[in-house]
Amino acid sequence: MISTWIALRKAGLLGINERNLRLVNDLNPRRLMRLVNDKTETKRLAIEAGIPTPELYGLIRNPLDMRNLETLLDKPDGCVIKPANGSQGNGIQVILGPMRGGWRRSNGQRALFEDLKFHVNNILSGMYSLSGQPDVAMIEYRVKFDEVFDPISFGGVPDIRIIVLRGIPFVAMVRLPTAESDGKANLHKGGVGVGLDLVTGRTMHGMQNGKTTEIHPDTANPLSNFSVPHWDAMLLMAAKAYEVTGLGYLGADIVLDKGKGPLLLELNARPGLAIQIANRMGIRPLVNAALTADTEGLDAEGRVDLAKKLYRQHAPAHPVNA
Amino acid sequence: MTSTFHTRLLAFVLTAIALTIFGIKVFQYNYPLTPGTQTTTWDFEIYLDFDTANQPVRIETFIPANSDTRRVSQEQYYNGAFGLRLESDNDNGRKAIWTYRYPNDRKVLRYRARLEGETQRSPLPAEMHRPADREPPESLNDLERQAFLVWSSDMRRRSADDDSLAELILQEIFVQKDADEIEALLPVLPPPLDRLTLAAEALQSQGIRARVANGVYLDEARRRTEIQHWLEYHVDGRDKRYFLGPDPKEFFTIWYGTEEMIRADGVFDFEPQVSIQPIDSSASDVVRKAARADRTPVELFSFDRLPVTTQLVYQVLITIPAGIVLLVFMRQFVGIETLGTFMPILIGIAFRETALLNGLILFTMLVALGLAMRFYLEKLRLLLVPRLAVVLIFIVICMAVIAQVMNGANMRMGLSISLFPMVILTMTIERMSIMWEEYSAEDAIKAGAGSMLVASISYLVMTNKHIEYLLFNFPELLLVLMALCLLMGKYTGLRLSEIIRFRELAKQAEK
Repeated sequence: MISTWIALRKAGLLGINERNLRLVNDLNPRRLMRLVNDKTETKRLAIEAGIPTPELYGLIRNPLDMRNLETLLDKPDGCVIKPANGSQGNGIQVILGPMRGGWRRSNGQRALFEDLKFHVNNILSGMYSLSGQPDVAMIEYRVKFDEVFDPISFGGVPDIRIIVLRGIPFVAMVRLPTAESDGKANLHKGGVGVGLDLVTGRTMHGMQNGKTTEIHPDTANPLSNFSVPHWDAMLLMAAKAYEVTGLGYLGADIVLDKGKGPLLLELNARPGLAIQIANRMGIRPLVNAALTADTEGLDAEGRVDLAKKLYRQHAPAHPVNA
Repeated sequence: MTSTFHTRLLAFVLTAIALTIFGIKVFQYNYPLTPGTQTTTWDFEIYLDFDTANQPVRIETFIPANSDTRRVSQEQYYNGAFGLRLESDNDNGRKAIWTYRYPNDRKVLRYRARLEGETQRSPLPAEMHRPADREPPESLNDLERQAFLVWSSDMRRRSADDDSLAELILQEIFVQKDADEIEALLPVLPPPLDRLTLAAEALQSQGIRARVANGVYLDEARRRTEIQHWLEYHVDGRDKRYFLGPDPKEFFTIWYGTEEMIRADGVFDFEPQVSIQPIDSSASDVVRKAARADRTPVELFSFDRLPVTTQLVYQVLITIPAGIVLLVFMRQFVGIETLGTFMPILIGIAFRETALLNGLILFTMLVALGLAMRFYLEKLRLLLVPRLAVVLIFIVICMAVIAQVMNGANMRMGLSISLFPMVILTMTIERMSIMWEEYSAEDAIKAGAGSMLVASISYLVMTNKHIEYLLFNFPELLLVLMALCLLMGKYTGLRLSEIIRFRELAKQAEK
């Protein structure tokens, strides 16, 4: 146990306590947290700053708005219902499109209007919101994800998580849905996380349920050596999120749409630490480097360049197996 | 000044202040550091709290009295504007009578004393040693008297001597409760006084002197102790007492007969409260000596002068910080998942009512039932708040049923849950069921088990005699606990759970 502890310290592993104290408490003022906790607010800010996001079809704010629900849901290409103040992907329902007598869910099952109404009611009453406050339900564009990850994902939408410190992206992974995670890309639900080389946007190693893995559990394809398209655009979006929100430590969740390119899904003011397992490295050296780096006068593009430089200093280039 | 330095400085100052006061108490005034083993004296308090409405008030209450076997000392009366008269009635006991002609508002009267208890071996008062007249009780009418004589001569026939006769009568009245003739003979009194009175009369009619005694059991500190009733009798030159239920180790007789302890006229909203608390004689003597010698500032940091009822509340309250320090440690250093931040502490406090094992069983049982109900309600698609309310009502019903069943099975444990916090149970169930659906049954059960573990450990810490003694007698130590929490608030190291979670990375690093 003690030798493990020493080894982890040497590997530069960052723990929850340290993340909370040094990153979240110090860099993310409480009053700014609202901007990312409320996804409608995040969307508004992102649009202002020119960061593309999935189109918002409408909001259900109260039981009166409920009469609009049917028209909002009635999109041939489907839509996504999510709580504006949800956390960790809870309460999100993906609808592929209408089917006879109801709607087709992402897992292929049929949902009746009753079911969806109940779900929206639960969202409104605050079942998925932080601390149980009454919430708002968002109905938005369902992302038609790019095929690039098809060999290594199973149903649902893969997304890319980039963690940004003082506007400098410093570590990233792609999160892949599995049969176990029911089409969701969240790691704690059984999704697979694959570390990305920050400079090249290439996948490296994977993890699932806290354990390292090299293949996708459902498709059995190796996880490494996929290139994320539009990688530089994504890094730029993540870096811009810092200016938009003012949060010094944040995780940007980005999805890749077939037609529209990268879209900012949401921001997270307390991104988790499992990314260290996916990347097979402790992030403390990178954190320290980003905390002390001189960003004076740098715009988002400048910080992305700085980010790549810092990353190469601390993480060697991953060998590409042809 | 960095915040880390600031925190450490504050923690240091707090600890220094606390240890200074602690040191003065220990070295200058010789406060003992551990609870003494002897607890033979008890603080006894009658606390009367009532509303008045401009009409004459008269409150009578039996109070403890000195006798050959019992000792009362340091009596204090808090009368306010009331007149106080003491009345000693050799047969029944000593009474305090408070009167006031035109009171208004809420009033409080208090009687306080130190008691030294009696045990089963304490002799009965001398008057119990005289033989009794063999007369059937006078209160009976002719028909009942006839029945009584038939029944008692039957008892007499079936016994060998006075000793076995007494045994038999008690057996008949208290154990084989179904006999019809006994039902018919019972005097009109609230139970258990009815059977005790009948037993006393039956024994007296056979020449065995007996009477109903009333008082308190001195078993543990109680903020609302119940008045207990038992039987004293003298048979074949031996003093005996018959208790309902298991014999108490120590008790104190306050009065005799079937009168009520407290009688009040002209008052409303009357709330009498009798409380007892053991005093560690060695410790308290020293404390009192020190306090009397010179009224030092040290005395300010002590609960000794508060009323007993308030003291008992603080005795519970003051241990909660110890539980909280433990909880902080479990979360920041060990990394145990719990449901809600301070919920395990609340559950731990609830265990005080039920004791640990019973509490765990009851809690698990109620949460399991509630979860089942919650999953059923899921089908009905209710709104959140009404659904919570349904679960809460269901929990109350479950608790009522458990109390009934346990009572039927003669298990006290079911009765002890009366104050088990239902809202905590309901919230636990709701949180667990959401976790169950959103994550997995495994996560939910893990968090539930984590909560129970922390609750159990915090219960053990909070009820630990030494911790309770130290914190109650040296409240300044709370500052040390606060300093500990401050320091733990700056811990940036790994949690035990993280060492396990990231162990694969460690293997990687070693390569």
